[in-house]
Amino acid sequence: MSLHNSIKMKQEISVTIDGKVYQSTFGKTILEIARENNIYIPTMCYLTKVKPIASCRMCIVNVEGVEGAILSCQEKATDGAVITTQNHTLNKERQNIMKLYNVNHPLECGVCDKSGECDLQNKTMEFNVATQPFTVREQSRPVKKWGYVSYDPALCIMCEKCVRVSTEITGDEALSIKVGGYASEIINLKQSNNYSSLGAAAAVCPVGALVDTKFKYTSNAWELEKIPSSCPHCGSGCQMYYEVKHDIIYRVTNNAEFTTLCGAGRYGFDYANKNVSKNQKAFTQAVEAIKNAQSILFAPQITNEEALILQKIKEKTGAKLICGEAKAYQNFMQAYSEITGKQLYSGSIENISKSKVIIILGTRINNDAPIVKYHINMASKWHSARVAYMHPLEDIEMKNIVTQFIKYEPQSEEGVVALLVSMLLHEVEIPNYVKTFLDDLDIGYLSAETNVGEEELETLRKSMMKKESKSLIIGSDLYAHPRAKEIAKILALVEKYTDFNVVCIPPAGNAMGVSLICDLDDEASGNSVGYNVEADFVLSALNDSKKDNHYLDMPALNQQEGTLTTNDRRVVPINVSQPYGGYVLNDIANALGIEARYTIEYTKSLPKERGFQSIEFDALPDYFDRLGEAYRGYHLKECNVSIYEKLEEVATLDGFDGAVLYHCNPVEQFSAFTNVGEALHQEAFLLGSPQFAVATKLNDGDSISYTIDNVKFKRMFKIDTSLKGTIALNPTYDMGLSTPLVSSYRFSRVEIQKTGSNDE
Amino acid sequence: MSLEQFKNRNVGTQRYTMLDLGKDPQTPWCKVRQVIRRTFKGDLLVGLWVTMREMFNALFRGNMATLKYPYEKLPISPRYRAIHDMLRLLESGHYRCIGCGLCEKICISNCITMDTRYDENQRKEVSEYTINFGRCIFCGYCAEVCPELAIVHGARYENASEQRASFSLFEDMLTPIDKLNLQKEYPGFGAVSPDADENIKQTPLAY
Ligand code: SF4
Ligand code: SF4
Ligand code: SF4
Ligand code: SF4
Ligand code: FES
Repeated sequence: MSLHNSIKMKQEISVTIDGKVYQSTFGKTILEIARENNIYIPTMCYLTKVKPIASCRMCIVNVEGVEGAILSCQEKATDGAVITTQNHTLNKERQNIMKLYNVNHPLECGVCDKSGECDLQNKTMEFNVATQPFTVREQSRPVKKWGYVSYDPALCIMCEKCVRVSTEITGDEALSIKVGGYASEIINLKQSNNYSSLGAAAAVCPVGALVDTKFKYTSNAWELEKIPSSCPHCGSGCQMYYEVKHDIIYRVTNNAEFTTLCGAGRYGFDYANKNVSKNQKAFTQAVEAIKNAQSILFAPQITNEEALILQKIKEKTGAKLICGEAKAYQNFMQAYSEITGKQLYSGSIENISKSKVIIILGTRINNDAPIVKYHINMASKWHSARVAYMHPLEDIEMKNIVTQFIKYEPQSEEGVVALLVSMLLHEVEIPNYVKTFLDDLDIGYLSAETNVGEEELETLRKSMMKKESKSLIIGSDLYAHPRAKEIAKILALVEKYTDFNVVCIPPAGNAMGVSLICDLDDEASGNSVGYNVEADFVLSALNDSKKDNHYLDMPALNQQEGTLTTNDRRVVPINVSQPYGGYVLNDIANALGIEARYTIEYTKSLPKERGFQSIEFDALPDYFDRLGEAYRGYHLKECNVSIYEKLEEVATLDGFDGAVLYHCNPVEQFSAFTNVGEALHQEAFLLGSPQFAVATKLNDGDSISYTIDNVKFKRMFKIDTSLKGTIALNPTYDMGLSTPLVSSYRFSRVEIQKTGSNDE
Repeated sequence: MSLEQFKNRNVGTQRYTMLDLGKDPQTPWCKVRQVIRRTFKGDLLVGLWVTMREMFNALFRGNMATLKYPYEKLPISPRYRAIHDMLRLLESGHYRCIGCGLCEKICISNCITMDTRYDENQRKEVSEYTINFGRCIFCGYCAEVCPELAIVHGARYENASEQRASFSLFEDMLTPIDKLNLQKEYPGFGAVSPDADENIKQTPLAY
């Protein structure tokens, strides 16, 4: 962007719309200014979250001095423009467009899923089109089933919204337009992949053409009660509605005009702990067990309030609190903040989509945090962002947006980080201790051991030159690394001395909330109680088959009120969508003398010194304004912590060789909870490349077993030809109550036992 | 108008006709004579004769005027609104209901409950449909709103039951398939008007 333009960007302009003068800034479209000022311009193809599509022509307006009508969704307003949004000719034209949309449109509103919330229905009424005045010869257009979604070309109005979401937002790039006049239709180029992210494309369809396959024809939209909530699966806490009838969740929707849900959020809603009643005996046992417990283990899939209750129990009984992933994150962020002086990272997810350079480090981002990947994709599509993906494993799903893949050896992250930071801080004003640290680096040695070539970093540096808006995304490979603290400190230099938008993606569920609220311990010992974790006594919402004597049911996250802390440093509310008749953690706390009537009474007492605010649960807002600004809960306040600026020398790197496993769940799986529901449930395999198979002497279909973090895995080995190298993907989502136990460094070298083969 | 005028009802031309009722008996003897005459006139037998004739007609000619309810019932108006019927398509025999849910939505006493699903023929299928007759007020809105003339009011008006709320299932209300030829259109609210043909606007078709 030229200097001239960037000055013009901020320029104040005034425009006249329908006779009234409005102030705005240059760069906004006429439609945006109109919406800002609550002026109605009808649209059919406009979708706020993508670039203007300009396929419908409904948004036409007249601008004085310009011949003919212009598209307000696309045209930027200029200073002094005089705009008319409503007059007879414009409305006639709009009416004609609606007549054309209705050509051969099947009169099947009676059964259509969209009826009642259909844009075509609404606008047909609004523009008073009472008959179908035109027609063409109809052809056979069978309904297509594409896995999670189905497409009915007869209903499609070719607005293109779905295609844009699939390319600009989710980046699966599956949908495309088959052009052919009246025979045009949407096609799915990647049917075999069965992307759950297509749900996000169906969510924006203004008519009933693209719908959720499972939901299709099961309920009218108006019969469903929308319960606003937030997705609890990964740390993104995306906005969502549970749509409920007769206490059954029929589907999950979201405010698709402004936000997006990934497949796990949209389809993984069926995990409630159903048909639970109060088991007095088990409850008494649970209270006893907690009283006597020396350790309380818990999974990070809990609310902030429950985390606070656990913390209070710890303060009362002195039990240790164990949550592996959250602890690792807590340690990492603590070390990180010793350099930055701030409790958390300062970057935001939103800013990732505005970046022109993005560096991803230590995460298989498409699997770990889909929404973050969507934002990277947006940056790539909108700003042709340079995306450097640094990881030991290439990800074929990222191929279309990654401009540079930098491969490094597992467990050499400290070296990688040192190399990267020394490149990023090149020519940056830095204090002496950093300078000494960087000067002491043995670049040659690091480069050789990590396998990251100096020329690779040089290419990266060159591609970043003169680019503004840069993001660094840090993932959970680093948190449980043996040298996590040192790595955190080196990375914190980037936040402190450059203008990078740095985000450290929380590793799981509400790990961020837990890490801020609980005083966590490292190792469990003695009697243990597990909350959604295997232990001597188990409190669980998983409705696990292991219902023995040492078990008490707990509500799942869609049966609770409370708040979650998201990777955008926001505290967002979740609401009850399913009935629950049993005991909750608060009842146990009450029995121990930690009294509160409801769990949400703790919302206002979340620790202020960690940035939480003293706001009642019922006072938390949860809505978007007209322009898409989110008012969901509140942002954590920035908290200063004491600075301890000291860097340790990079330790000797000893890389892994041979066959290595990497903990990584499939795209729509995050924990045992996503796997419970019917829609997402899938069998877990150890996925390895053909090379891995050779190295480990395994064949496709072999039954194998191995142990990681004392958890015994038994599964089948499958060859995935899209993978390369000797690192296999080991999912953990299917391990039920044992899933949270697997919390060590994500790469591990294990002894694989072959328990059966596929030969017969 | 003065009060005087207002009170004078004999305004305008009066056209009263006096009836010739004869004269009231004047003397005691005349009164006795009238009693004797009226007592022995044959009028009593006229009444008895009517009774005898109707008894004879009822017993021997099959002209019974009363009904043996509940074994016999009077025909009722075809527009009467009693327990619902679910109609079938005459040609295919398939039930007419498309599961649009409008009856469920419009019902002011919230007594219709239904579930639908995607069937193997890619159609919306009604999987569950009940009307709670403990709540239904027989307003006829469901029959009126139904776009398929699928739900209508029938003639079953006996609603007494042992339970306050008794439910009717879809199958109970559906025309039995073997009685399809006896299925009648309902002429009440929501039915097509007799001049419907003249009001139909045709959609242009290219073929
Ligand atoms: S897409 Fe809209 S207009 Fe078309 S059948 Fe469905 S509800 Fe009716
Ligand atoms: S499927 Fe829906 S969103 Fe996609 S082009 Fe058709 S109408 Fe638009
Ligand atoms: S799993 Fe994460 S990214 Fe997906 S919808 Fe839920 S919070 Fe959003
Ligand atoms: S209104 Fe008619 S077609 Fe619609 S659900 Fe009711 S009975 Fe069926
Ligand atoms: S909204 Fe502008 S062309 Fe569709």
